[in-house]
Amino acid sequence: MLPEFRLLMPQTLSEALDMLAAGAPKVVPLAGGTNLIVDLRGGRHRPSVLMNIAGLDELRGIRREDGHLVVGGGVTIAELLDNPLIAQYAPVLREAAAVFANPLIRNRATIGGNLVDGSPAANTAPPLLVLDAEVELASKAGTRRVPLDDFLVGVRQTLRQPEELLTAVRWPVPPPHSAAAFYKVGLRKSDAISVAGVAVMVACDEDGRCEQARIALGAVAPRVIRARAAEEMLCRQPLTDETIAEAARLSAEATRCIDDIRGSAAYRKRVVEVLVRRLLDEGVGSME
Amino acid sequence: MKYKAKPLPPVELPELRIVGKPLRRVDALGKTVGATVYAGDFSMPNMLYAKVFRSSEPSARIKWLDVSRARELPGVACVLTAEDLPDARLVTDMPGQTGQKRRAGSDAPVLAADRVRFAGEPIALVAAERLDIAERALELIEIEYEPLPGVFDPLEALKPGAPVVYEPDNIVARWKIRKGDVEAGFAVADTIVENTFRVPFVDHVYLEPEAGVAWVDERNVINIRVCTQVVEHFRSIARAVGVPHNKIHIQGTMLGGGFGGKEDITVEIFLALLTKHTRRPVRLAYTREESIQAHSKRHPFIITHRTGVKKNGRITAAEIRMVSNSGAYPYLSPYVLLYATGASCGPYRVDNLHVDSVSVATNNPFTSAFRGFGAAQAAVAYEQQMDEIAKALNLDPLEVRRVNYMKTGSRNATGQEIKSAIWLEETATRVLEALGEKTPDHGAIKVGQGFASYMQSYGRITWFHDTSRAWVGVELDGSVVIRCGVPDLGAGQVNSLCQIGAEVLGVGLEDMTIYSTDSALTPLAGTTTATRQLYMSGNAVFQAASRVREVLLDRASKYFEEAPEDLDMADGKVFVKLPPPAPPTRRGEGEPEKSLPLSELAAMCAAEGLPLSNLYLFRAPFTAALDPENLQGDVFPDFTFGAHAVEVAVDTETGEITLLKSVACHDVGRAINPAAVEGQIQGGSAQGLGYALMEEVQVKDGVIQTPSLSEYLIPTSRDVPITKAIILESGTGVGPFGAKGIGEPALTPAAPAVANAVANAIGVRIHDLPLTPERVLAAVDRAGGDKETG
Amino acid sequence: MQPRVVTLNVNGRQHRVALAPNVTLLQALRDLGYTDVKSGCEKGDCGACAVLLDGKAINSCLVLAWQAEGAEIVTDAGLGTMDNPHPIQEAFADAGAAQCGYCTPGMIISAKVLLDRNLHPTEDEIREAISGNLCRCTGYGQIIKAIQMAAERMQDAGSRMQEAGSKETGGER
Repeated sequence: MLPEFRLLMPQTLSEALDMLAAGAPKVVPLAGGTNLIVDLRGGRHRPSVLMNIAGLDELRGIRREDGHLVVGGGVTIAELLDNPLIAQYAPVLREAAAVFANPLIRNRATIGGNLVDGSPAANTAPPLLVLDAEVELASKAGTRRVPLDDFLVGVRQTLRQPEELLTAVRWPVPPPHSAAAFYKVGLRKSDAISVAGVAVMVACDEDGRCEQARIALGAVAPRVIRARAAEEMLCRQPLTDETIAEAARLSAEATRCIDDIRGSAAYRKRVVEVLVRRLLDEGVGSME
Repeated sequence: MKYKAKPLPPVELPELRIVGKPLRRVDALGKTVGATVYAGDFSMPNMLYAKVFRSSEPSARIKWLDVSRARELPGVACVLTAEDLPDARLVTDMPGQTGQKRRAGSDAPVLAADRVRFAGEPIALVAAERLDIAERALELIEIEYEPLPGVFDPLEALKPGAPVVYEPDNIVARWKIRKGDVEAGFAVADTIVENTFRVPFVDHVYLEPEAGVAWVDERNVINIRVCTQVVEHFRSIARAVGVPHNKIHIQGTMLGGGFGGKEDITVEIFLALLTKHTRRPVRLAYTREESIQAHSKRHPFIITHRTGVKKNGRITAAEIRMVSNSGAYPYLSPYVLLYATGASCGPYRVDNLHVDSVSVATNNPFTSAFRGFGAAQAAVAYEQQMDEIAKALNLDPLEVRRVNYMKTGSRNATGQEIKSAIWLEETATRVLEALGEKTPDHGAIKVGQGFASYMQSYGRITWFHDTSRAWVGVELDGSVVIRCGVPDLGAGQVNSLCQIGAEVLGVGLEDMTIYSTDSALTPLAGTTTATRQLYMSGNAVFQAASRVREVLLDRASKYFEEAPEDLDMADGKVFVKLPPPAPPTRRGEGEPEKSLPLSELAAMCAAEGLPLSNLYLFRAPFTAALDPENLQGDVFPDFTFGAHAVEVAVDTETGEITLLKSVACHDVGRAINPAAVEGQIQGGSAQGLGYALMEEVQVKDGVIQTPSLSEYLIPTSRDVPITKAIILESGTGVGPFGAKGIGEPALTPAAPAVANAVANAIGVRIHDLPLTPERVLAAVDRAGGDKETG
Repeated sequence: MQPRVVTLNVNGRQHRVALAPNVTLLQALRDLGYTDVKSGCEKGDCGACAVLLDGKAINSCLVLAWQAEGAEIVTDAGLGTMDNPHPIQEAFADAGAAQCGYCTPGMIISAKVLLDRNLHPTEDEIREAISGNLCRCTGYGQIIKAIQMAAERMQDAGSRMQEAGSKETGGER
């Protein structure tokens, strides 16, 4: 049995924010429950009050607006996978959604939930980081936007304040001459927690020189990180085997992995180098 | 290398009507519409909910235990500790066990009194009005442990001075084989190959966690409705609870999987004790985490092979050492070790054989039965060793095996002559042929192919004097009843009996109803383990049905005034067979039929007091126990032989392995239901493929690090290709219609086939399972290093 | 922690039942007698507890019963009966896809959502659709075959219905 708690059932976003304002920090929002229910059962979490936001319509919806893609915090991973806007404007996110757990989990897990959980292995974070995403945090006091890279602080730690809900994630539509890709290594082909997950985005100018590179690494540090040194190194460089190999090496250097039951730090570091190289190659290949 | 299937010897198998057909199983529809009731689906009025309080320490003295706060919690009906139980010991030895002295103090206690030996050992039982109250009560139990030095590695446990898990020492069992002259054999070898292989703790992961409900009735009988592979445990349960045998009634349910994990007593004694103390129905259902912690695991083994071979691959001598990790209590460790020892050199003619095996106690989760029962672990080693021999001699892996394969009439490692068909080359060539041309390597992906041959016993150890009973009866309307104590794990145990009964009595499968798995109301059929049920209960049903058939045909022969041999039964009728050339089981066109519905014949017999039913006791061969100092003699009724081949793609940069193709071929003697046989082959293969690639219960200092199915991984639908199942039927088995067994055999060759394929792909052997990406990369590095140093 | 009376709509039946907030949909369904919904892990790892919630296949162990109020819940037993099985249930039985049967109800739920969307799934699409349902007995082979068989039978039934319809309208489309 789950531990005891009160369960608030707001009918609108406004009601939800009121409840959070009145009850914070004791009120914990519950959307898909795919992490939270598991944590409750395992005793990792003993909140006295949960607040159901799974049914809030205001948190749904995916739209294109002002050169940005805007995804409601309550959008499920399955919805990301099926959505034509995501397929067109953020295929890297779609790739991560496709290998996110399994179809049953995807029908409940939300993009907002995945991010606020703050797991270093969160699947949606690497693609969203290379898309340069921001999260929208709403409270009764107002709404603020925070770059995702700042939002993720550490293991299960984010900048979300107790009275806030993650109401949307947004990112600029990627430039035309750009490509992005995601790959994760797990211990089986489905429903596997990442041993290492990498997303890469490259944008090139007409001469094939890298205008922008973003490399995000998951499950290899206390939070999902950008490999800044590698990105800077690639900037304004032609994307050759040598520069790509160097970027991959620098990415591996950026990791701060641990040994755990899924793999050693040494293995993870090594795999990151391989994945970054392959994904950069893939990005270059798809732009040609 | 192109392989061609070796032609089969001609086999004349009679055409049958029901047996041999892939009919829809009798239990199938109930399962698909969700009507089948499993052990945890059952409720009784006034029922209490139970939980088990377990040790968090792997090796400790219990300094004090205080359950008073738990007892006082409102809604708690009872809390039991070892103090409340007379002398409750969980007897874990097989009936009729032999040779190995049963070591005093080695039986697991039902509840730990002063000492705990593994993390998860049961200490107290709680029954409460609601499950959440029972859970809360667990939290209120107070305990102080004094940790004692523990030992977690079996090799460490063998060293003098190691902590002793239970007196007198950590040696749970030993077996030896001394056959021929290994010194002479090594002396004439051209090459000697030595390797050590390791396999880990594995969990059964049946989808249904252990569960049951017990209640005391007006006769003071303790009824236990439970998922179990053994209804005969009622005797041990009675002893542990302190009641006569005839006061325990096991109502076994259809299992949601067993695989050997529900072969030992799980929840039964806890349920019996709680219901006896409270006089109310009690339900106990394990969570998945509790299941992983509480029930047995597959034995880890360390197996060293030292083999002398001639240039052509012929084995001249083999020296094998096996160490198994028994965990904290023996359970079936001595027998798992026995099976492993007997299977240690594989299905090969080894005239000079020296095997030393030992099972060692440690403060780890206890180990016991798991599909393959030691012979599966043995195969992981011997089949990899055969490939290593091939590599050392630069010979084709099939060729090395061919020159050593046993043939019908050969004697195995224990000197038992195998009389049934041994289609090793036939099965190996078929899987290799079906595997086809190797998919080419591309980029960092290296593709490899590998196969494994195996032998696996079916039927229990013959010095256990195994028996099974079945009752078959014809009702007055021509429908048929089988009563048989057989537990059904999901592999089609009860369905096979129905197909056999229907075949003999000439009715449709839909005319059969079977009542099963009840220790009081159905004739005892023995354990559903050791791939024995089709052999034992299948024969019992065949014989019982045949005796009923005899009575019916005898009466019908008087009715028709024809000899019984000229009569037959089919389609619910008894009829006079047409003279040749018409086939004996079909009526010709235009011929007036001399037939009688079975119902009318049954009514006739009943009116005359003729028996319409038969209870048959089938006996396996009864032999004497073997000398543990040299296991030479007959051990099993018979063996199944076959092979499995796989193709794998190995990403040499990430270490990830993808299974591309999987083919298995087994001689099952006779397939009672080919769809069920195919299902067993595909399912057993998947378990073996998982064993090779991803399954390990990781244990650190006695504590399980993989507590749930997020950490302990089994294959999903994306992980395993459909194993193509090639079913051969030699008709030479000792089961009904010449059947052999397939339950355990289906798993045995899969993991070594994968290991061999991976070694083929990367050119270097990984000696430990599972073949994780990390181990693969380490091996790839070694291969690169070997190349550099020439 | 106060129980509240909630209305759960299961297989077309309305159930009014007092439930505490911490009761999962899995527990609530099983306590209501829908024991076809199986408990295998209670944390979303195995899929045995899968049911349809407003047409989506989900793990009922990860949904609180209160969250399911107002939704249409369908369990495997709601798809068909022994006397009138759903084509998917029938195909599973015919193909040998239910061995121990414990994964079967959840597996059939996942198969249903696939076939409702796509009556011509590739083998890969079938594997993907059931990748959240663990099976320990079958190796997934006969399950995949059962889903293919069901797809064909449902296609045939569909085209027969279409033919019947067009016959009624005199063959005009």
